[in-house]
Amino acid sequence: MDAREGGPPEGLLVVGVDIGNSTTEACLAVVAPDGSITYLGTDLTRTTGVKGTPDNTEGALKAIRGALARAGRSAGQVETVLLNEATPVISGLAMETITETIITESTMIGHNPTTPGGEGLGVGTTRSIGELGEQQPGEPVVCVVPHGWDFDDVAATLNAAVAAGVDVVAAILAGDDAVLVTNRLARPIPVVDEVSAVEKVPLGMLAAVEVAAPGRTIRTLSNSYGLATVFGLDPVQTRQVSPVARALTGNRSAVVVRTPTGDVTDRRIPVGELVLHGAGKTLRVDVDAGAEAIMEVVGRAQPLDDARGEPGTHVGGMLAQVRDTMADVMDIAGQPDVPVSEIAIRDVLAVDTFVPAEVRGGLAGEVALENAVALAAMVRTSRSRMQLVADLVSEGLGAAAEIGGVEGEMAVGGALTTPGVDRPIAVLDLGGGSTDAALLTREGECTAVHVAGAGELVTKLIDSELALGDREVAEGVKWYPLGKVESFFHLRHEDGTVEFVDQPLPPHVFARVVVLTPDGPSPVPTRHGLDHVRRVRREAKRRVFVVNALRALRQVAPGGNLRALEFVVLLGGSALDFEIPDMIADALAPHGIVCGTGNVLGTEGPRNAVASGLVRAHAALLAAEVQ
Amino acid sequence: MTTPTTTAPERTVSLREVGPARRGTRPDEVVIALSPAFAGHFTRTIVDVPHAEVLRQLMAGVEEQGVTARLVRVLDTADLAAISHTAARLSGSGISVGVLSRGTTMIHQKDLPRLSNLELFPQSPLLDAPVFRMIGSNAAQYAKGESPQPVPTRNDQMARPRWQAKAALLHLKEFDCIEAGRGPVEVEAVFGPGTTG
Amino acid sequence: MTTTAPRPTGAAGKQSLRTEILEARPVNLDGFVEEWPEKGLVAMESEFDPAPSVRVEGGRIVELDGRSRDAFDFMDTFIANHAIDVASAEASMAIPSAQIARMLIDPGVSRDEVLAVTRGLTPAKVLDVVKLMNVVEIMQGMQKMRARRTPANQGHSTSARDNPIQVAADAAEGALRGFAELETTLGVLRYAPLVAIALQVGAQVGRGGVLTQCALEEATELELGMRGITAYAETISIYGTESVFVDGDDTPWSKSFLAAAYASRGIKMRFTSGTGSEVQMGNAEGKSMLYLEIRCILMAKGAGVQGLQNGSISCIGVPGAVPGGLRAVAAENLVASMVDLECASGNDQSFSHSAMRRTARAMPQMLPGTDFVCSGYSSVPNADNMFAGSNFDTEDFDDWNTIQRDFQVDGGLRHVRENEILAARNKAARALQAVFAHLDLPPITDDEIEAATYANSSNDYPLRDVLADLKGAQSVMDREITGLDLVKGLESAGFHDVAENLLTVLRQRVSGDLLQTSAVLTADFTPLSAINDPNDYAGPGTGYRLQGERWEQLKKLRHVTSSTNPETEVG
Repeated sequence: MDAREGGPPEGLLVVGVDIGNSTTEACLAVVAPDGSITYLGTDLTRTTGVKGTPDNTEGALKAIRGALARAGRSAGQVETVLLNEATPVISGLAMETITETIITESTMIGHNPTTPGGEGLGVGTTRSIGELGEQQPGEPVVCVVPHGWDFDDVAATLNAAVAAGVDVVAAILAGDDAVLVTNRLARPIPVVDEVSAVEKVPLGMLAAVEVAAPGRTIRTLSNSYGLATVFGLDPVQTRQVSPVARALTGNRSAVVVRTPTGDVTDRRIPVGELVLHGAGKTLRVDVDAGAEAIMEVVGRAQPLDDARGEPGTHVGGMLAQVRDTMADVMDIAGQPDVPVSEIAIRDVLAVDTFVPAEVRGGLAGEVALENAVALAAMVRTSRSRMQLVADLVSEGLGAAAEIGGVEGEMAVGGALTTPGVDRPIAVLDLGGGSTDAALLTREGECTAVHVAGAGELVTKLIDSELALGDREVAEGVKWYPLGKVESFFHLRHEDGTVEFVDQPLPPHVFARVVVLTPDGPSPVPTRHGLDHVRRVRREAKRRVFVVNALRALRQVAPGGNLRALEFVVLLGGSALDFEIPDMIADALAPHGIVCGTGNVLGTEGPRNAVASGLVRAHAALLAAEVQ
Repeated sequence: MTTPTTTAPERTVSLREVGPARRGTRPDEVVIALSPAFAGHFTRTIVDVPHAEVLRQLMAGVEEQGVTARLVRVLDTADLAAISHTAARLSGSGISVGVLSRGTTMIHQKDLPRLSNLELFPQSPLLDAPVFRMIGSNAAQYAKGESPQPVPTRNDQMARPRWQAKAALLHLKEFDCIEAGRGPVEVEAVFGPGTTG
Repeated sequence: MTTTAPRPTGAAGKQSLRTEILEARPVNLDGFVEEWPEKGLVAMESEFDPAPSVRVEGGRIVELDGRSRDAFDFMDTFIANHAIDVASAEASMAIPSAQIARMLIDPGVSRDEVLAVTRGLTPAKVLDVVKLMNVVEIMQGMQKMRARRTPANQGHSTSARDNPIQVAADAAEGALRGFAELETTLGVLRYAPLVAIALQVGAQVGRGGVLTQCALEEATELELGMRGITAYAETISIYGTESVFVDGDDTPWSKSFLAAAYASRGIKMRFTSGTGSEVQMGNAEGKSMLYLEIRCILMAKGAGVQGLQNGSISCIGVPGAVPGGLRAVAAENLVASMVDLECASGNDQSFSHSAMRRTARAMPQMLPGTDFVCSGYSSVPNADNMFAGSNFDTEDFDDWNTIQRDFQVDGGLRHVRENEILAARNKAARALQAVFAHLDLPPITDDEIEAATYANSSNDYPLRDVLADLKGAQSVMDREITGLDLVKGLESAGFHDVAENLLTVLRQRVSGDLLQTSAVLTADFTPLSAINDPNDYAGPGTGYRLQGERWEQLKKLRHVTSSTNPETEVG
C-alpha cells in the first residue's frame, strides 16, 4: 500500500506465510512504526506435507528464503514471521454408480457400430450362414455370420442363397464387414456388424434388423409400437418391451430378437445410505436417490456436525478414510490421541454425473452411460498444531515466528489490497479440495466457512464423463481451451475462429480434438466432438464451483441474503481458470454483486491474499500499540 | 457355428499398369502405394502373408469406411517414407498407405515432412491380415477427417535374432528392382483364383 | 514290446525322429541367410572390397584404398585428414599384411610397436591384415592389444515401467557384482531425469566409483552429463558410408563437435558403431560389413574420442546370419584395440534363441579380455531391458561366474552373497527415497523400499503415480538440479558415504582423468586407464593374470562343497 520514496524503508522486516493445501506463499514487507507498509516481494512453493502439520516447515522456510533472496535481504534481518492459523483440511472424493443396464437372453444388440451396411428393416428367423444351404425358400431369414468368415465368401454365399430362392432379409456379422458385404450383394439388405459375441445370438427365433441412412436414426425398433407391429405384441407385452425401444433410441442401427423372457432392464443399484448429523437431528438418505435428494437432506441438516456412509460402499469407504487420515495427521507421538468426537465431516457435496459402463449381457460390448453420484466431503478438526510449526520455522530461520490470525480474516485482509474494493467484502477461495468463503462486514466482523468440492472434483467429473481414464488429460481439458485440428496448418478454436500456423502441426494431433496448452496442442483421446467435450467441461465447473460459490456465500451472507454482499473477490488456484470466474460472476450478477478475480497488492492476481493479509493485520496491531 | 470351407487355392494378385499416376481430386480416396517389387518380384511378406491378402485387407479396411482405394506403384525408390509421401501428395484426401514387399507399412499425409508419418508399423514380422485391415480402416478414417485410435503395435524382443538378416536381404532385393527415373504408375489389382476382390 | 504302430507316410516318405528333434531346437528359430557380396551382405571376405593403397603428396594423403582425393566421400576425407598418420603411412602400408598380422599375435612384439605401425594403415589394409587371422589368432591379438591391462564389464539397469526405484536397486546390485559402468534408457523419455538420478545414486551405493550413463536423444543426454547427473556417454553413433551417415542427419564433423562438447566438461564419452548397420539400411555401397566398420573405427580415431562401443551392437542379427559373421565381430573389436581405442565389446543385444550360441558369441571377448567385455550385460531381467533385450541377463549371472571359474578368466563380475545384495538394494532404495524427499519429488514409500529389496522384475514393485513422477522429472530440469544437489541430499539425510562417493566421481571431471583411454574408477577412486594401467602383455606369465586375491574372489560360487567338511558348503 503505502510506499516510501527514496532510501530504504525504515521499520521492521516481517514476512507473512500462508500454508495452503497445495501451495505455501510468503509476503515480505517492511512495517513502519506508523503502520504503513512497504511490500518488498513474494514467493511461493509447493506445500510440504499435510497443511497444518510440522511437515509444512520445510516448505515455509523455502518460501521465506525465496522471498528474501528476491528482495536482496537476509534471514538475519527478519523481525517476525507471521503464520496463518492453518487448520488441516482433508478432503475426499468418491463416485458411486447407481444404475446398471442388463440385457437378458440376448434380446437386443444396440452397440451402434460406425459402419453398418444397407438400409431399411428386415424381419425374419435367425439362421446361421453355414446352414443357409438347407434353408427352404419362403421363410424370411436373418443370416447370422460368425467369426472367421471372409467377406467375399459371405457375399457369395448370400447371393447364392437368394438366387436359390431363400428370402434373406437381413444379416448380423461378427466382423467389421457390413459395408464390404452389402457392396457385393445382388439384392441390398440391412446388415449390422461388429457383434463380438455373435455366438450368443439365439438361432431359430424371430428377429428384426434395422439400419438407417447415414446421419439418421432408426424409427421402428426404437418405437414401442413399432416393436409391437413387427412382433405382433399385445399391450402387456408392449409395455414389457418398451425399455428395449428406449435403449435403442438415437441409434443408427439395431437388432431385436424376440426371445421368450428376454428384456432390457435399467436396474438401480443400492449403494447404501448416507447418515447426516446436524442441527440437532439425524437424517438419512439413500445415495442412489441422486444428488438433488442428497443435497436437499444435507440442507436440512445444516450446520453439519458429521456424516457417515455405509461400510463396503465407495462413499462409506471414502468418508471413513478421510476421517482416518485426519486422525493420523493429528496424532503426535507421546501425546494423547485425538478424540473421535473432534474429527468430523463438516460438509458434503453431491453431484450427479455419468460413468460409462459395459452393459451386462451385451453381445457387442455395448457401453451405456450409467447414472452415478460423485460425493466430495471435507473433514476438519478444531485442533491446530501450527504452534509447533511456528517453533520449527523460528528455529530454522533464526527469527521470531508467531501465529498471525485466522485464515478467513487474513484472506479478506489480503483481498482488500485489490484495487477497487472496499468493505463489506466477501472472498471466495477456490482451491483444489475445498471452496472457502469469508465475509468482512463494514463494522469489521469476520465470518468464514468451508465447503467440500473444488478443483479435484471438477477434474474427476470430466475424467469420468468423457471416459478418459487419465487424470492428466482430464486436468488438461479442465485448464485449457479446446480446438480441433482440421489440417496440418490450421486448427479451429472452440469459439469457431480458425488459426493458421506456419510450421506444420505434429502428426499425433492430426484430426483430433486438442487442448491448447502453453507447450502446444495436446490430443484428447475421445471420439466425441469438440462441442461435447466443451459442454462436459463447462457443466463440471458449473456443478461444482457455481453451486458451491452460492452455497458458501449464502452461509456467510447476513441473513443468508446474497443481496447484502456488495463486493466478492475470487482467490485461489481455480480463480486463475479461464472461465470459472466469469461463470461465478454471471451467477452472482442478478444479485447485484460485483464479482471478479482478486489482484492482491495490485500485482499478485488471486494469489498471496492470506500472506499479505497477515502482514496487514500485524501492521495494524503495531500501529495500535504505538498509539 | 461353422467356420467356412474357403476355396482351396490361395488368392493371388497381379498389378496391371493403367498409366502414369495422377493427382486425385476426390477427397474421399486413399492412395495405397506399393514398392517396386510388391506383387511382382515378391509375392509374400517376410512372414509369408500373401501380397494378395495384404492388398485385399488394406482395400477392405478402406472400403468398409465408405472411402475409395486407388493403387499406385512407386518405382524409383525402396524407401518407405519416400514411397508413402509420394502417394500422399497424389491422394485427393492427402492420406496414403505405403507398403514394402516385406510388409513394413506406414500411413502418411501430404503436409507432413517426408521422414514423419501419421502411423508407422516398423516390425514387418508382426503384421498379419487383421492388422492390415485395421491400417486400411484407419487411413480411411483420417481421410474422412476423423481421429481413429492408432492401430495397436506389438513388440517382439526376439524379432531381431529371427528376422533382422532376412529383412536386410529382402530390402536389398527390393532395392534391385528400383527403376531410377520412372515416375509412379497407377495400377489395378487383378486377383487370382477364388472369389474376385 | 517289439513292434510300433505303423506311421502315416507323409508326402516325402517316412520322417526322421531325429530331424523332428533337431527342427525343434532353439537354434533353428534363428535367422540365417546366404551371402550377397555385391550388396554388402557379407561379413569380411568380399572381392568387392577395395585393395589397400595410399599415396602421400606434400604431407597429405591424395589416394586412399584406390580412390583419389577428388573422388573421396566425406568418410575418406575425414580418415585421410585426421585418422592416418601421414608421416608413417607409406612405410607402414608397405609392410606385408602377413607380417603385421604376425606382429599382432607375436608375444615378442610389444603393443607400442604394433601401434607404431597401425597408425599409418588405411581401412583396406587393416582389413587385409585381420582377414589373415582365424578367431583364435584374433583372440590372441585382443589379449595383447586391448588398451587397459585390467578387463572390466558394463551392465544395463532399466525398467519396463521406468520405475526409478527398480533402476536404483538393480544398479546397486550390478555395481556390487562388479560392473564398472552402468547404462540406462527409458520407455517414456520424460522420465529420464528421475531414472538417471536413480542410476547414479544406486550405482554409488553399490560401489563408489561406478560410472553411469543414460542413453537418450543427444542434446538431452549431453545436458544430463553437463549437470553431473550422469558420468559418461556412449550412444553417439557413427556409420561406415556417407549415405547412411547423412540419412541420420549427421557428418563426422557434427559427431566430433558433440564429442568435443563432452570433453570440454571433462565428461568421459565414446562413439558407437558396428558391423551390419549399413547393409541393414540398404546402403552398404557394395562393401563388406567389416570393411565399413573399420572405416567407422578410423573415423572415431580421427575424431579424437578415447574409445568405441562396437561388436555389431543392435545390428548383431545381420552378421549373425551370414557365414563367418561372428569372426568379423571379433575382428572389429580387435581393430578398435589395435588402433589404440578403448573397446566396449558388444555382447549387449539379444541375438539368438540358442543358449550355446549366446555363450559362444561372447568367448572371443571374455577369454582374452577387453576393456568392457560386454557393453551392456542386462543387470535386470530381459523383459525389463529397454534396449530391446541383451545377450545376457540376470538369469545368467551364476553361469557367467561359473565360466570365469572354469577357465580362470576375469570377466569383470563376481558372485555376491544374497545378504550383501539385499543390504545394497535396500540401501539404494532408501538413499533414493532421501534424495527424492530432498528434491521435493514424489515420495518413495517404505512399501516400495521393501519391494525393491526382494524384487526380481518391475512386476514386483507397487505402481507409482506416473503423472506425478513426470511432473517431478520436468521440475528437475526446470530447477536446474545438478549432481551436487544429489550430493547435498544424500549428505543431509545421513548417507555420508554415498554422498562422498558421488562427490568424488563428480570431481573427476575437473582432473580430466576420465578423458584418458579406457578410464574407469576403482573402488578407492583411483582412475585406472591405459595411462597408468597399460596392457603390458608379452607372452605367458605376463600381462593381466587372474591370480591372488581376485582369483580367490572368483572361485566363489553359489554352491561349492567344502573340502574340509564335505557335508557342508563353503559359506
